[in-house]
Amino acid sequence: MRLLVGLTALLAIAPPLGAQQTTPGERLPVVKYVLPNGMTFLFLRREGAPTVAFVTHFRAGGVDEWTGISGTAHLFEHMLFKGTRAIGTKNYAAEQAMFPRVDAVADSLTAEFRKGDEADTTLLARLRGRLHQLEDSARQYVVSNELDRILTENGAQNLNASTGNDVTNYFFALPANRAKLWFILDSDRIRNPVLREFYSERDVVMEERRLRVETSPGGLLREEFLAAAYRAHPYGRPVVGVASEIQTVSRTAAQEYFRRFYGPNNAVVAIVGDINVDSMKAWATRYFADIPAGEPHRPVVTQEPPQHGERRIEVEYDANPQVLIGYHVPEARHPDAPALAVLSQLLTGGRTSRLFQRLVIKERAATNIFSGSGPGSLYPRLFTFTVVPIAPHTTAELEGEIYEELDRLKREPPSPEELQRVRNQIEAGAVQRLEDNFGLAFQLSSSEALWYDWRQTFRDQTALLTVTAADVQRVAREYFDKSNRTVATLVRPAQPAAGGTN
Amino acid sequence: MRAPITVAALIAVAVPLVAQQPTDPRAQMAALQIPPLHFTPPTPKRVTLSNGVAVYLLEDHSLPLLDVEIVSKVGVANLPDSLWGVGWQADNLMRTGGTTRLSPDSVDKLIEFYALTVFLSTGNETSTASFSGLSKYTDQLLDLGFDLMRNPRNDTSRVRLIAAQQGEQWRRRNDTPGSVLGRAWNQVLMGDHPLGRTQVTPQEIAGFAPERFRWTQQRIFCPDNLVLGVSGDFSEREMLARLERLFRGWGKCPPGLRPMPPVQFARGPRVVLVEKDVNQTNIRMGHAGGVRVGNTPDYFAAQVADFLLGGGGGFNSRLLQRVRSDSGFAYSVFSVWNADTKREDQFFAGAQVRAEKTVAAVRLMRDLVGSMATEPVTAQDVKLAQDNEVNSFVFQFQNAGEIVARQLGYAVDGLPANWFDLYLKGIQAVTPDQVTAVAKRYLHPDQMVILVVGKPAAFDKPLTEIGPVTRLPVDSIKR
Repeated sequence: MRLLVGLTALLAIAPPLGAQQTTPGERLPVVKYVLPNGMTFLFLRREGAPTVAFVTHFRAGGVDEWTGISGTAHLFEHMLFKGTRAIGTKNYAAEQAMFPRVDAVADSLTAEFRKGDEADTTLLARLRGRLHQLEDSARQYVVSNELDRILTENGAQNLNASTGNDVTNYFFALPANRAKLWFILDSDRIRNPVLREFYSERDVVMEERRLRVETSPGGLLREEFLAAAYRAHPYGRPVVGVASEIQTVSRTAAQEYFRRFYGPNNAVVAIVGDINVDSMKAWATRYFADIPAGEPHRPVVTQEPPQHGERRIEVEYDANPQVLIGYHVPEARHPDAPALAVLSQLLTGGRTSRLFQRLVIKERAATNIFSGSGPGSLYPRLFTFTVVPIAPHTTAELEGEIYEELDRLKREPPSPEELQRVRNQIEAGAVQRLEDNFGLAFQLSSSEALWYDWRQTFRDQTALLTVTAADVQRVAREYFDKSNRTVATLVRPAQPAAGGTN
Repeated sequence: MRAPITVAALIAVAVPLVAQQPTDPRAQMAALQIPPLHFTPPTPKRVTLSNGVAVYLLEDHSLPLLDVEIVSKVGVANLPDSLWGVGWQADNLMRTGGTTRLSPDSVDKLIEFYALTVFLSTGNETSTASFSGLSKYTDQLLDLGFDLMRNPRNDTSRVRLIAAQQGEQWRRRNDTPGSVLGRAWNQVLMGDHPLGRTQVTPQEIAGFAPERFRWTQQRIFCPDNLVLGVSGDFSEREMLARLERLFRGWGKCPPGLRPMPPVQFARGPRVVLVEKDVNQTNIRMGHAGGVRVGNTPDYFAAQVADFLLGGGGGFNSRLLQRVRSDSGFAYSVFSVWNADTKREDQFFAGAQVRAEKTVAAVRLMRDLVGSMATEPVTAQDVKLAQDNEVNSFVFQFQNAGEIVARQLGYAVDGLPANWFDLYLKGIQAVTPDQVTAVAKRYLHPDQMVILVVGKPAAFDKPLTEIGPVTRLPVDSIKR
């Protein structure tokens, strides 16, 4: 067996580095095609198995919701799987005629629900029952989940969608010989969506909230943490929605959300795989060009005011402790973003990173530590550390050590070897991300939707390669101050709840 | 090297051409011409090394990446019972505990400096190692990967680290309802059989020691048990020479493993309640699965039945349609009908439902399991499952790594190299009657174990309406 390369030789094989270097991604032969209504298509033909990935991003997210309808962006995402005037129905006219009756009962339910503790529980139960009964009766005209059936029988893969703070995406892949189906089905669903089975889906979304937040200690802690860190900007609101608003949002509000944010000019579609670009262009025009443009996307005006002093919260839950520590940092497009990303890698990116070495390996005080920026990209965000202690070590102890390492970084520059490790990982990542049609389509579509430039995300990767030790120290000094910090700690309630003892 | 695959012929689809109405999506779909797919998936080449180890090779130079996948035909269930906990963490120590010549820190530095991906996993019945990275670092990748497999140091400091982490995981075992459900289910269904273990106990952690880790690693990762796959940017001649060199001097597997003890799945009817103060109830119900993986009508019919009940069929499966879409009881609801080539596995249906619909949801789910035998699936349903499998076959061949990994899986499971072809044909041959027949034979809604994790005070009705309830205190879940 051959000897391994000695560690001292590591730096010698480092790849050459230059400011003009472009990643392989920026050189991809992507064809950008914009319809007169503003809808943007990105086509990329790739060799390989005859499959095609379709990823659409809409410039519509949780931040675009108005007061009282939190969770609607996400609920609407669910509704886009319910079909159209043609798909998912046996008789659209009859179905539509029932909507006002169903909505009226839902409105009465909401009116009673609003009374809070004063609400008549018997009346609430009766109205709920009536609502279900009416919606069930409307089902006589519904072909439930027909869109899913058509795609399933055609061999579609990865059919799903997700809603974020900034954008919402819809995606699936098809065998290449069935690519035209996407044009038929998705042009129909953004043209004529029908919000059928609306109230039962509202219940489904409420269970999604319970699954991800209310019965998940980590999910609950994160929701409370964001709410504490943001006083004004909508990044502080949960994308899944506040429970009372999920339970009362109306079909009309969801329709209004669609009308305002789902115009073709707010859509970016990436189509990657075994495609003929000319056919794609022709089909894009034929199926989407006559959809009228909608309102242009208006960025959120609200700016999070500067934080004046540390904010600390405790979240009580019957589970073992963990802590989130967040610092306000600028949006992803800001010139400091690359240095912050490198800082994250230096401190927590892998087993050789500074904080992992100290807290996990040397002291055995934490099971793991992560850092990263979020919850969105378009607006100023939080650089957040997540750390889970190993008893008897405490979250307070870990907090102190994280602050020490941040202070050390302000004083002592990262070594050339540390920076080179980060650069090598970026280089490998840049190649690995070209492996997969889906991953590429996702990145192209997201980059164009957020930054109006599909190359931007690739360029950001290149920018990371030019970050210097001085840049990292500068951003460490700029943002990692106590007064700019929010700390959320999960603690057990004084009286543990029944059941779940540990 | 290239074997033509016959599935291409299966997917010719005849769609009637009707008058086109450009604005009506139904007319457009009806008019859709679906050209046949011309695709011959590449076939990995099988080579046997001088020590008898089989290697599957598939070159793909489209990107400068190398992917090496190694599967061992044995796992933790083959260890003496007293070593189960050690075996369960033996993978973690191989990755983090250093080698006889490299300290744990040096290993971490090499992996992260070269941005290599090194993954080791000791499973219950099989184990895997996978190494990947940029092909210009092939030397570093393979030298290190084989050093980790052959010469694990199990450094004392890292044994202590893993002991501390496992101890914390034990402390947190009841923090989420999902963790409680999974552990309780395994205990109720499989007792203390190794297949039902997913959590190391404090007693087992106390027994962690470098020499015990070494004993298990030497027996799980040794040439007689291994099958290799190499895909990506390499040349066959050089790679084979390199592999011969890497295996040189690595002798026979030492004795000491046992065949996995036979597993007995508990039989119901039983209703088991674990109390947890949550507003959403975790439900799982099922029993032994009955079928084995094989080229038999029963296996393929069971696959279709699972698809239509709550497996791959998505929103058009009975569980999703009724429990989620129609009733709004749950966001997540599904079925799993597992099988293995050597033994039967388990069948279950699961969901997370609002607490105040718990009993209604348990009833509905149990009825839907039963409906597979009493309310026959239609020809259209079966065709949905068949069309999905056939039309999506190209997704199984998207990159060289997946193609090779699939062949390794077949080799370890004792399936023929053309299993995928046989599988598609088997699925194609399933009839609605066969689906009903396997449901009648193997699904027994009246004999299921039904496990509920939640807060009974919030339930719609007493759980006793389902049957006599056994309470399982959360602290009596042994692992």
